[in-house]
Amino acid sequence: MPHDGIIYLDHAATSWPKPPEVLEAIAYALGPAGGNPNRSAHRLALAAARLMLESRSTVASFFGVPDARDLLFVPGCTFGLNMALKGLLEPGDRAVVSSVEHNAVVRPLAVLEKAGVEVVRIPTDRSGRIDLDAAEALVAARPTKAVVCQHASNVTGAIQPIGDLADIAHDHGAILVVDGAQAAGHLKVDVTALGADVYVASGHKGLLGPQGIGVVYLAPVIEVRELVQGGSGGDSGSLTMPAARPDRYEAGTPPVPAIAGLGAAVEVLSREIDALVVQEQRLVQRLVAGLAAIDGVRVLGPAPGEERAPVASIVHASVEPDRLAYELDSRYGIAVRAGLHCAPAAHAAAGTLETGAVRFSIGRGVTEADVDLALEAVREVCSK
Amino acid sequence: MIERYAVYGFETTHDALSAERALAKAGVPFTTIPTPKSLGELCGIALRVPIAVAPDAEGALEAAGLAWKARAEIDDRTPSGLSR
Repeated sequence: MPHDGIIYLDHAATSWPKPPEVLEAIAYALGPAGGNPNRSAHRLALAAARLMLESRSTVASFFGVPDARDLLFVPGCTFGLNMALKGLLEPGDRAVVSSVEHNAVVRPLAVLEKAGVEVVRIPTDRSGRIDLDAAEALVAARPTKAVVCQHASNVTGAIQPIGDLADIAHDHGAILVVDGAQAAGHLKVDVTALGADVYVASGHKGLLGPQGIGVVYLAPVIEVRELVQGGSGGDSGSLTMPAARPDRYEAGTPPVPAIAGLGAAVEVLSREIDALVVQEQRLVQRLVAGLAAIDGVRVLGPAPGEERAPVASIVHASVEPDRLAYELDSRYGIAVRAGLHCAPAAHAAAGTLETGAVRFSIGRGVTEADVDLALEAVREVCSK
Repeated sequence: MIERYAVYGFETTHDALSAERALAKAGVPFTTIPTPKSLGELCGIALRVPIAVAPDAEGALEAAGLAWKARAEIDDRTPSGLSR
């Protein structure tokens, strides 16, 4: 149902509203646990450090990470992907990457390509799914350091076959790096079962936490150079970062309020994830079927009824995406996102690079009534 | 009566507080203290246990798969000093 008069269908950008437990945890981290963790040993600092330990353990457990020290807190998914790619790849290395990545992957790889990293791209089908045969051929063609792929698209909702891609990467001695921004919290993700060597997720999207926090899973055997150096609270006499995780990758004072908020959010998710996945899948299929039935509308990505993340982007034959998004917001209080969604590569593959699209994205709190109101509103705007 | 203690230092705060959890779970009495400088360049948090229960503490840490990086024995006459 509408919250504060808003039907919020922009969960792929950021989840809203946050569970009340998140706000409470943030307030606690700013108050009774307001010390600087990993530094002092007084009660405020210890309370902050214990909050971090609890959050790290909760998030690690949620993702099936056996040792919570391999679950790193970073400022966001984009930071985590930059850290993974720039910390793994050196001039002369080769990376095989899907051709539909978000700019959080495309742009750091462009920098690395200029520096001498070879980047080759896996084609996709019309629905946005990668071609696994092509992926295998590309990885097998030459020694490859990393295979990089999103788990789910923020534009088409296409879910990539990460388990199969992990097998391909590992068969050829490559490391699999996964951008989980649109999958975490919307699909059940067990990084060990998936075979991901590096899995990066945003804290504020499907994981329901606040902005300013992301997580990186680094498999124990994977060596990634840290992107940032600074104080870690330990081994202070050394000129280098401590080798031990998580400290090596978390220089500087950590954002405890964001980490505490994320921990509280993932506690909620851990209880609700099974039902939430079912509910979101039901709603997105209802949404896709309804949108596809509107005259002049083309839904990008997988066909109605096919598996997808809870995202549906559309173009209309005559109503521009920005106009549709504006009308939905101003007349109906429906929040969606128009444009290229920071993913021009995905739009190029879908044939919408010139126009962009309107994206509807579902998350916790969205109801069937919300979806039906949105469908009715799209019908009205597009019929004029 | 001079009280003697074993102090355990850890590489990271994560390890130190995981050790704190393990001792609490095992019912071993402990105090969380700032790491004595002479224990080495470690994280800022150490765990102090009465010397009599040090074997219990070490058993609990080993059972939890937690390794301390440094161990020392101190007494309550010189809180900031160590007698090894």
